[in-house]
Amino acid sequence: MIRRAQPWLGTLVEITVDDGAGQDAVTRAFAEIARLHALMSFHDRASDIARINRTLPGDVVDVDAATCDVLRLALHVADVSGGAFDIACAPWLVDRNILPAPAPDEVRPAPRASAGVFALEDDGRVVKLDAGWIDVGGIAKGYIVDAAVAVLQQAGAIEGCVNAGGDLRAFGAAPVPVAVRSPRAPGQAARHIMLCDEALATSGSYFSARVHEGGVVSALLDARDGRPLVAAASASVRAARCAVADALTKVVLATGDCRHPALAAFGATAFLT
Amino acid sequence: MRYVPLTVLAACAVTAPAFATQYLSPEQAEKLMFPEADAFRPHPLALDTAQMRQVEQASGLPTRSAQWRVVGAYKGDTLLGYMVLDDVIGKFELISYAVGLNPDATVRQVEILAYRESHGSEIRLPAWRRQFVGKSARSGDLRIGAGINNISGATLSCTHVTDGVRRIAAVAQVALAR
Repeated sequence: MIRRAQPWLGTLVEITVDDGAGQDAVTRAFAEIARLHALMSFHDRASDIARINRTLPGDVVDVDAATCDVLRLALHVADVSGGAFDIACAPWLVDRNILPAPAPDEVRPAPRASAGVFALEDDGRVVKLDAGWIDVGGIAKGYIVDAAVAVLQQAGAIEGCVNAGGDLRAFGAAPVPVAVRSPRAPGQAARHIMLCDEALATSGSYFSARVHEGGVVSALLDARDGRPLVAAASASVRAARCAVADALTKVVLATGDCRHPALAAFGATAFLT
Repeated sequence: MRYVPLTVLAACAVTAPAFATQYLSPEQAEKLMFPEADAFRPHPLALDTAQMRQVEQASGLPTRSAQWRVVGAYKGDTLLGYMVLDDVIGKFELISYAVGLNPDATVRQVEILAYRESHGSEIRLPAWRRQFVGKSARSGDLRIGAGINNISGATLSCTHVTDGVRRIAAVAQVALAR
């Protein structure tokens, strides 16, 4: 097996493929990851996301087809989850110093549902409807894992796995063993499962939780009310696509419901650890 | 067999971290970064005090070390670029990585060579940490058995690596760029 890792998306992205795929396939997959990282970064002023955030209500933004895909899926997950997942939650993260303000001089917009912040036009452009900031940090890692798998398969890879800091997708006929971290003892595996041509994403606050203004905050929150998700448990979701699994972990963590209807809507299953 | 310090073997046996992976040897990394090269020559680098200050100003980070492990990549007599080897220690993790640089000191590629976690008491012991600094990038030293699992869990930040890459880019700008 070929196994390589590079730092992208604020974490380590690991690619494992069969030897037949060759190093070129892996190099191409990392190039696509780098391209998508640049498009979807909250921090990079030139990214599609940063340009949407700086755009004034009523204006239209041209974005890459991949950005449009992510935004469309994010709106869908927000809809079927009753807003428990919503990428327009960024003002809360900025307030808590988890993200920097996209436009430091402007008045901070109130968090509101993403369907009220932007809409997608038929030609793939984004219309800003009202003041608001979006962050695709809760879904883009999974989307980028899916995109990297597609590049590897196009390049001839038969089997392998792409893992972006815990959000991963196995492809090919061979089952891939995956260890799920124990939130209480992150150096240990709480369970082992086998994945076959499917994705698994896990979210928990055991690495990101910290104290802010007297309370505990984390990079995870319930997008319905901004409540920080700092429970000891982690939520894992199995789905065909990693983008779906990634987003749905936040729904499960926010609602505590492993049978949430949003899971069934995507043919996904969930468990808490 | 390669020489492996007994202290390292003992530390591994006692603490046996759950998550550790060897990705590439430095030799594999340099070939990936400079496939057109026909020779790689060590280019050990020692910064003087003035250069260390310049690195701190350019990167906004402590220079941390005067000595840097650098390899030059050549095709014939032509310099194609450099690869710098480094290790970073985070709260839970030890990461060995390599940064490929063009002759003008711009970053060409970053590859992780080895990754190892520790969440127990051992990482807080200075002696445990010291054993790995400067050694971990050497091929094989940190191999903890094959067949390591993929891990699913909360995202572990790689801030230490991105800071490290920024520092190396500044070192290259100050002492290697032409």
